[in-house]
Amino acid sequence: MKVMKPERWRQVERLYYAALEREPDERAAFLGSACAGDESLRREVASLVAAGDRIGGFMEPPASFAAEAPATAPQPSMIGQTLTHYRIVSLLGKGGMGEVYLGEDTTLGRKVALKLLPAAFTSDRERLRRFEQEARAVSALNHPNIITIHEIGQVITEAGGMRYLVTEYIEGETLRQWTERGPLILSRALDIAVQVASALAAAHTAGITHRDIKPENVMVRPDGLVKVLDFGLAKLTGERTGEWRSERAAELATLAPTPPLSTDPGMVMGTVGYMSPEQVRGEDADAPSDIFSFGCVLYEMVTGRRAFARQSAAETMAAILQDEPPEIAASDKDLPCELDRLIRHCLEKSPAERFQSARDLGFALRELLSGSSLVKSVSAPARAHAHPLDHRAVWLAAALALLLLSVALYLFTGRGKTIDSLAILPFANASANPDAEYLSDGIAESIISSLSQLPRLRVMARSTVLRYKGQEIDPRKVGRDLHVDAVLTGNLIQRGETLIIKMELVKVEDGSQLWGEQYQRKFSDVLAVQAEIAKQISEKLRLKLTGEEQQRLTKVYTENAEAYQLYLKGRYYWNRRTPESLNKSIEYFQQAIDKDPNYALGYAGLADSYSMLGSPVGGVSPREKFPKAKAAALKALELDDTLAEAYAALVLVRLRYDWDWLAAEKEIKRAVELNPNYSMTHQLYADYLRVMGRPDEAIAEIKRAQELEPLSLNTNAVVGVHLYFARQYDQAIEQCQKTLDLDQNFAPAHLFLGWAYVQKARYEEAIAAVKKATSLSPSEPRSVSALGYAYAMSGQTGEAMNILDQLKELSRRRYISPHDRAIIYAGLGEKEQAFAWLDKAYADRSWPLPLLKVDPRFDSLRSDPRFADLVRRIGLAP
Amino acid sequence: MNDSPPQEITQLLLAWRSGDQTAFDQLMPLVYQELRRLAQHFINHERPGHLLQATALVNEAYLRLIDSSRVKWESRAHFFAVAGQLMRRVLVDAARERQSRKRGGEWVQVSLAEAVVIPQRRSADLIALDDALDVLAAMDKRKSEIVVMRFFGGLSVEETAAVLKVSPDTVMRDWQLAKVWLYRELSKDEGDEA
Repeated sequence: MKVMKPERWRQVERLYYAALEREPDERAAFLGSACAGDESLRREVASLVAAGDRIGGFMEPPASFAAEAPATAPQPSMIGQTLTHYRIVSLLGKGGMGEVYLGEDTTLGRKVALKLLPAAFTSDRERLRRFEQEARAVSALNHPNIITIHEIGQVITEAGGMRYLVTEYIEGETLRQWTERGPLILSRALDIAVQVASALAAAHTAGITHRDIKPENVMVRPDGLVKVLDFGLAKLTGERTGEWRSERAAELATLAPTPPLSTDPGMVMGTVGYMSPEQVRGEDADAPSDIFSFGCVLYEMVTGRRAFARQSAAETMAAILQDEPPEIAASDKDLPCELDRLIRHCLEKSPAERFQSARDLGFALRELLSGSSLVKSVSAPARAHAHPLDHRAVWLAAALALLLLSVALYLFTGRGKTIDSLAILPFANASANPDAEYLSDGIAESIISSLSQLPRLRVMARSTVLRYKGQEIDPRKVGRDLHVDAVLTGNLIQRGETLIIKMELVKVEDGSQLWGEQYQRKFSDVLAVQAEIAKQISEKLRLKLTGEEQQRLTKVYTENAEAYQLYLKGRYYWNRRTPESLNKSIEYFQQAIDKDPNYALGYAGLADSYSMLGSPVGGVSPREKFPKAKAAALKALELDDTLAEAYAALVLVRLRYDWDWLAAEKEIKRAVELNPNYSMTHQLYADYLRVMGRPDEAIAEIKRAQELEPLSLNTNAVVGVHLYFARQYDQAIEQCQKTLDLDQNFAPAHLFLGWAYVQKARYEEAIAAVKKATSLSPSEPRSVSALGYAYAMSGQTGEAMNILDQLKELSRRRYISPHDRAIIYAGLGEKEQAFAWLDKAYADRSWPLPLLKVDPRFDSLRSDPRFADLVRRIGLAP
Repeated sequence: MNDSPPQEITQLLLAWRSGDQTAFDQLMPLVYQELRRLAQHFINHERPGHLLQATALVNEAYLRLIDSSRVKWESRAHFFAVAGQLMRRVLVDAARERQSRKRGGEWVQVSLAEAVVIPQRRSADLIALDDALDVLAAMDKRKSEIVVMRFFGGLSVEETAAVLKVSPDTVMRDWQLAKVWLYRELSKDEGDEA
């Protein structure tokens, strides 16, 4: 293996990609001519191309390693066989319930888990019928933490009838595998526990008991999602029911317990260790029995030890009936005493004294997880004597205190001056699940947008408050920085179907709390909660609202919670502004519309996504995307003509694609009227004024947007762009630098800085700035083009030509706006080429073309009659 | 449980992300230790022949070491990038030890590296890959980093892009060429080409 010089390697790389652009049968010829005179270079590239053809799935699965070398175990006979339309791929594991295989559903092409139930379990028809009924009922709950059962079936084999159970295939490990490797960190353990409790709550509500909660029956997927397996199966197999116990009691008392169908002695021990006292006594097991078993599992997760571990099954069972497990605090000082109490409350010997429902249990766990009651054990002794977690009383007291507090503060602040500006900070996602991020962002955003419709309230825009995301927040400091009177902070926990939102509204002047509230709702009520929050805040701010404003504030844009959730996901990806994320956002908006075909906001989002894809950010030809954007925007307006977002979406199309200035002006004015606090509308209005050649008014308007989002990187950079087009280059440079003070890595600000430097003939700085922009955002051809233009203007013709070649090369792989090349030719003074490319830009309806008339980079073309002609064709007065 | 509570490790990760290099130096051994511990456990408790993806270990180390509610998506990617480098070391060390043992070493000690039994063919591959990655790094550092992040750390294209501050497009292209190059180099060793 030889190390190539990096320059040589780059040459190889360039040629490699260039070769791949060609049809396979043209590659050899291409390399022959491209590497003329350099045989070793040709050979190098050709061998890479050839290797690429053979590579297959090389390195596709990430690295893996194995436990002790396989002793070429004999393949179980089932593998490779087909059961109805399931092909059995491999053995996943063996358990008391029989063997579990990975299968492939040959009709649907998906992976499934196949459980073959031994005949011994299925001979009792009545039992089997009950099991099937329960399994279907639990699966029908469609709970995210309960495994989905696809099918329960029966096949006739040589050995007789065999029942099988087909479930979704879950990648990941069982909780048993986790606990064996030591205790879990607290937040992780609680997160898993909350999800298990949520599954139990759903099943218990449906009247179904699991009866065999143990680490083996809890799967943890790599993304953290937990699935509880085998609901009701225990009843079928009799393993944990009274019947089983009485039948086997004699065996258990002996030294070597013989569990049914298993030769692994750890097996029955494992199961026995999680039995509830009533199960041990052979009584029927109800919901509280699951709660006891759950307590054992949670104990083990946090301590790494079993709650009831004894030498034999019989001793273990005795311990379950009589003993208390050692305090968890003994194993780790960092565990909170509340957790110890919670576990003890699960492990009460008498079913009546345990948590009365898994729902209550889940709630207590969430409280622990949210950290609000994570009091360290040091301060515990005095409180340890209190009745174990009589949480209802605690809650009632807390709620009362909060109510009194907010009334008092309300009366107090009522005499002060009214509050007319507000910042709503992104809600913290207190769920361990990062997927809930879109929800915590989205709910705050929705509250921002409904409150920002109030004309007498100045509400900080999303992009501004976003800077505080994930930070330790001092509301008063934030409030002072943003010059607002009040700050709303909140956090959100999503657990299955339940959503907990906690909020606090703080007056910046004195740090007093204006309002605080906690909502715990079902996910499907999230829409109503938001409207309620917005309304409550406006009341606390003592805003006097007109009837119409009231109505707008509590307006619900869709009744469909799923559609709304999908919309939030769409906006989340839209805000990231990369081609990939924009495509993703389209998928989500589309799904939202599928759920609610009358969802105007969904269509507005769809329009915005298509438009951005057709802009320089998206890198797709405008002709491909803007017609779709327009159709979506029109549809949004047809559904709701009071929606500022819908007007804004349409105006973007009018300005950048339709070039319909009259319509743009009319619609943008309507959008500003509908929502004066929506920064986007001011930006669009500024854009319109700039195109119209009214730079001073444009700057005034963009500064209005900036007031709404003083910390938005994009808005700040765009202010710089407006100054640039107004030919106030020094101010433009200053503004771009201010933007970079906010974030050194914001590529567009470097790019616009480069533009301005060129006009000041400060070429070296221009080139450096633009190069910085390309390094930060290499997929943006606008920066490459700006570099070419800077080279051209500084007289480095060769470099500029190189850049033109690069753009040409790039255009084989993706859409490059012709405008990008027109700029460089204009810089080189090659009028013919410049006009040729501008004509192409005209044909493509390139995004930047409406600015032709005011763009300083085309000054060299102005005197040519073709320039005036082009301006006229765009629909502007020359 | 770990010697260092997740709060502290999380803090180190956050400090490193905000530019504190000493935090990085403290973080590395802690993550390495945890990866070794987990790998060791896997070896001791797993069914013989059971194959584990290195990235599953990295994922678990993350869940165990880091308080995810305090860490943003980008920091998670950074953690995985580091863990990928360490995982490379854990696996390659094991493979090298196994290779030297094959050449007549004793079978007495059971260190982790010896216990990570990589089927023979695989261990030779891993060592060759490790060497090839060094060569690649000398020519094109970014490409070798991408391979380590994706192959040993299990980072997605988007996450890799975020760590390296380049576009996902670039990562895709680099990853593709790096794989082709490695594939060719490694098949050369097999004697495909003279």
